[in-house]
Amino acid sequence: MRAAMSSFAMAFIVALFFCGMAAAYIASGFAEGLFAGAGRLTNILFLSLVFVMVMAVALTVAERKWSALMQDRIGPNRARIALPWFRGHSLGGLPHVLADTFKMLSKEAFVPATASRFLFNLAPVLSFAAIFALFAVVPAGPTLPVHNHRVSMVIATPDFGLLYIFAIASLAVYGTSLAGWASNNKLALLGGVRASSQMISYEVALGLSLVGMMIAFDTVRLATDPVTGALGMTDAQARYLWTFGSDFGLPAWGIFLQPVGFVLFFAAAFAETKRAPFDLPEAESEILGYFVEYSGMQFGLFMIGEFVEVVILAGIITAIFFGGYHLPFGEATLARWDLFRQHPWVWGAFLGTVFWVKALFIVWIQLLMRWTFPRFRYDQVQRLGWKMLLPAGLLNLFVSGALILWDPSLRALAVVGLFEIGVVIAFTFTSKPAVAARPAAAAAHH
Amino acid sequence: MSYPASQNPHEDIRESTYVPELLKGMAITARVFWRNLFGERDLTTRVVERKGLSRVATIAYPEEKPVYPEGYRGLHRLVPRDDGRPRCVACYMCATACPAQCIYIEAAEYDPVDDLRASRVIEKYPKAFVIDQLRCVVCGFCVEACPKDAIRMDTFTHTPPEYSRQSFIYPVDKLLKGTAAVHPSDPWYRREGSGEPAHVHKEAHTRIGPAGRVEVDTGKPVPVTRFLK
Repeated sequence: MRAAMSSFAMAFIVALFFCGMAAAYIASGFAEGLFAGAGRLTNILFLSLVFVMVMAVALTVAERKWSALMQDRIGPNRARIALPWFRGHSLGGLPHVLADTFKMLSKEAFVPATASRFLFNLAPVLSFAAIFALFAVVPAGPTLPVHNHRVSMVIATPDFGLLYIFAIASLAVYGTSLAGWASNNKLALLGGVRASSQMISYEVALGLSLVGMMIAFDTVRLATDPVTGALGMTDAQARYLWTFGSDFGLPAWGIFLQPVGFVLFFAAAFAETKRAPFDLPEAESEILGYFVEYSGMQFGLFMIGEFVEVVILAGIITAIFFGGYHLPFGEATLARWDLFRQHPWVWGAFLGTVFWVKALFIVWIQLLMRWTFPRFRYDQVQRLGWKMLLPAGLLNLFVSGALILWDPSLRALAVVGLFEIGVVIAFTFTSKPAVAARPAAAAAHH
Repeated sequence: MSYPASQNPHEDIRESTYVPELLKGMAITARVFWRNLFGERDLTTRVVERKGLSRVATIAYPEEKPVYPEGYRGLHRLVPRDDGRPRCVACYMCATACPAQCIYIEAAEYDPVDDLRASRVIEKYPKAFVIDQLRCVVCGFCVEACPKDAIRMDTFTHTPPEYSRQSFIYPVDKLLKGTAAVHPSDPWYRREGSGEPAHVHKEAHTRIGPAGRVEVDTGKPVPVTRFLK
């Protein structure tokens, strides 16, 4: 019963992804008929507002529900909808979204008397807006003709692609440090200082970890430019490094080419989202963070911004390291189906579903990490950022650069990458021999 | 699962490179997640005795009730006789034993001309038998002290919530419920012409009564457990 319900819920989510992407393609195609570029406006609506925001809002409940499952609990299920059939069903805790929203909207937006009023009100907006704009360059589906118009499932395709993400992500630090400073509260200020120092020091490792991918694919774009056809990272991953059979092989995904880069980027980006185990800027329950003075929806913006960051980080990782909307293999075979050839939007919706399913998996991995690892201490965060991630990123860059120069077909890079993955797997599946009682400790007891 | 780990994390490359250990930790969390996501919660046994896939320990209380162990001390009840009256003979032993002093008893005498068979062998009954459930510390001393098996805590329920303190003062009519008990040594069976029971007295054993839960529905006719042979 429960297994069937869980499977149904997962299938339902996938179906929702498909419907959403189909609607996005059709709307974008219609809009392109009005005037050129209007499709990008509907993409803002569908990708940023519908997909990212709905996923982020659902994550507020999903985090509580999933963490409950990870900790042998049930999780929130008390909020009910007072309609005849819904009264007796917890609906997986989803009504808590409504309850939380009403709570936050109806709570007093309290401003401390000594706070800098303008900056205090500005900080959550700055923090949220910067995060919200991040998704603009991530492609969620292929470029296809819909209603005789070319539709790209991406909001913007600037030629500086990834640099836009780095630039906008570093703007988010203003929101956090302003929130800490404008509250005129010692603890909030300390939290803001912790946040800004953490975010600034991890931006170095964040940028460095992706340089390997940039030189491997010779681009900083994520999406392929629909006008010039300059290949973006997502579409550059849609080829095979080695083929076995007609349409099967090892795809040129970033995770195989740059596993070290993936780990470094994941760690650095995770630190940028300020979630556990890097949540010492906020640490709601113990050491107080930069938004300690915020209440109501202003706090809600910080909180939802965190979840938006989680979703967007998942999207970016999917696009850079997991082939974006591309299937690992068999895509060329599927694309020859009549249904997909006659109705390109179905094909687009299918690949878009692939993208969101991958992104949802990365989201789940992030929540898994958040509920598994204990929080770093402040000095450990800085040590990890400067003394481990940064040198490892530099080393990875030199090795990757040398391999790409030596073998531009990226196969040498992939061999090294697969070797690195193999080493990690070997380390994970072997356990070190049990340690015998140390003689020094034994002697101390006598 | 015991996991061998040294005190110094720099000794082993698996631990000093950090990532394999992180993956192991995430694998544990993921395993718990998936088994709880797909597993059915087994509500028929106690949490520690579950055999199913799900290990969710939470019990959604008002809808689901936990399975209590045998001998669980629940809400008190006054044990009825087979004629529906309390077995209590108002001896005050429970009230004396009670460390919280939450039992109040007012004894009364049966009318000597009452033709009820009980009045011929027992003289006293509780005119008032009141337990203050807010004071009770649920120690069970009253059950142990009772010589007549007249008070038990085998209802397997808590004190239900009430809106006023007065509602927690339980008089006889709220306490008198559940399965009636009849013992061979009950004095109302020692009537004229009745001798000693043929079998050995086993009151101490029979006092525990039938295993399992006891219905606390007072609306139905009182079921009788006969220990007579």
